[in-house]
Amino acid sequence: MTVVTASSPDSPALVGDSIIEPLWRQRVRIFMHNKLAVASLAYVVLITLFCYLWPIFHPSNQTNQAATFNVTWNAPPSFHNPLGTDSSGFDELGRIAYGGEYSLALGFLAGLITIMVGTIYGMVSGFFGGVTDSIMMRILDAFLSIPYLFLLIALVTIFNRTTMLLILIIGFTGWWGNARIIRGDALLIRNLEYSQAARSMGAGRMRIIRRHVYPNSISNIVTVATFSIADAILFLSALGFLGLGIVAPQTDWGTMLQQGTEQLQNGYWWEIYPLAAVFILVVVAINYIGDALRDIFEVRLIER
Amino acid sequence: MLQYIIRRLFQSFLVLLIVMFFTFSLPYFQQEGILAPAYAILGTNATKARVAYWGIQHGMNHPFFVRFWNYFLQTFVHFNLGTSYKQNMTVWQIISLYVPRTVWLAAAALFLTVLIAIPLGMYQAARRNTIVDYAATGSAFVLYAMPSFLLCLLMMDLFSFHWPHLPASPPSSVAPWAMFTDPKGFILPVASLTLLSVAGLSRFMRGTVLEVLVQDYIRTARAKGCSNSRVLMRHAFRNALGPIVTILGLSIPALFGGALIIESVFNYEGLGIQTVNAALNVDVPTVLGITLLVTIMTLLGNLIADVVLGLVNPRIRIEGKSS
Repeated sequence: MTVVTASSPDSPALVGDSIIEPLWRQRVRIFMHNKLAVASLAYVVLITLFCYLWPIFHPSNQTNQAATFNVTWNAPPSFHNPLGTDSSGFDELGRIAYGGEYSLALGFLAGLITIMVGTIYGMVSGFFGGVTDSIMMRILDAFLSIPYLFLLIALVTIFNRTTMLLILIIGFTGWWGNARIIRGDALLIRNLEYSQAARSMGAGRMRIIRRHVYPNSISNIVTVATFSIADAILFLSALGFLGLGIVAPQTDWGTMLQQGTEQLQNGYWWEIYPLAAVFILVVVAINYIGDALRDIFEVRLIER
Repeated sequence: MLQYIIRRLFQSFLVLLIVMFFTFSLPYFQQEGILAPAYAILGTNATKARVAYWGIQHGMNHPFFVRFWNYFLQTFVHFNLGTSYKQNMTVWQIISLYVPRTVWLAAAALFLTVLIAIPLGMYQAARRNTIVDYAATGSAFVLYAMPSFLLCLLMMDLFSFHWPHLPASPPSSVAPWAMFTDPKGFILPVASLTLLSVAGLSRFMRGTVLEVLVQDYIRTARAKGCSNSRVLMRHAFRNALGPIVTILGLSIPALFGGALIIESVFNYEGLGIQTVNAALNVDVPTVLGITLLVTIMTLLGNLIADVVLGLVNPRIRIEGKSS
């Protein structure tokens, strides 16, 4: 007896009387099976909720430097300041949430731009092939051989460092690696039988890209997108460390870590270790989710 | 082979031109236009006439493509990268002073990374899903997720302040051989840079060896009675070497980026600090010169990686000949 598999994501195929579960549900099941991935996802969601909700339920002064003059600076953890205050007198726990809003939102949006631009560039290059591909790849080679951090610094100093512009700069410079991965996929898929079949039936290039190449490289796109978000958060923190991150009085985790490490030798551990733990775990968790996503999209691994 | 190298050199030159064009056009996007450095040098209160005069002195009144052509000639015909706006030195002087320092740092870290990551990755692949594998994967994940400056600062805090055994900063001597005369100061920076790159490379090595281990020739080797270590060393290692060499060539820009952060943390005057300062001071010729130089090093690194790949892998050599 031949085994009928779920051929289309949306319509469940019938085997005898039983309905085979649709592909997306199989994927969710595999993801849920990976305990560490579920924990990572829960952690990221939890931290995101904390960053956006904590300031609402427990507002603390995070921007008004004048109002911190009647607060003890570098105060150890107490009832009023569960994680103490930082070197400017701001409540550290509230500041983790406040800086997290910027770090997470920036990382997410920049990662999103990265993957969108990278996908379009990679697909066009890989699918069209030939001279187009050669030219587009040489341009990509050029970008890839500039040390990324050097370029980021140059760009950030050239333009005004508004939050929006930081998103755009990180987003529009981080896609080179992604484009190369997606291009490899597109190159592979356009030579597969189903693409050739579609072409022989008279489908246009754009239709093949939209209906065949894109859906079949979605696994790499989603995986790469997750890693891009983690990378964007890291690059933002590196800029923050160099003093080129978000402009005060706003802050982000990188800037906060940099300010905290200045106090490290004084023994003010609360200004660095809680935030460092939260930060590192967020990036680890996002990377781990990416790994798990790669597993669920690997059709050959799906147990039927 | 020679033909292949010449073709690759030509391609690299094209790539270099694109980089040059891109970096050269960047200053045009500044708010004050290309005259922004004038304000950085003459002060923000400089009169318009003075700024315009400075612009003419530095040939900024010419159109973009004329300036680009002049820069091109100056760079590739006269091998002159111009004079720094901010420091009283030519860009060549800055580069020749600071490049050796950064290259020493990066080369030492690269050497140690290869020495540690490749055996580690192979061991992990051979003994996958054991405690050691999980521990190594876990620490690689954390190291990869950690901002590099944080790792450096924590190591500094640990080994220079809590247990004061190691100096927190390398010697400030600009002698390129300082690493050998005073190695103690270099332990922390090199160790940090090494740890950061080991995290990525060992994971890559583990994945590559795992992919090789399921191939048919490995099964054949096992079937004909090769010992485990012989299978690993003679068959798996050699076949995993190709992707590793490529990735090493590609990792050069990342290595320089990492060196940039490490230089600022450990206050080690090198190319990285110079670039940051030059960018902050709108010292355009210095930024352009250093970017070009690092790009050339990256391209050469990739070329060497590909040539080495041809030497270690006969399949690629034959392919190169036939085409």
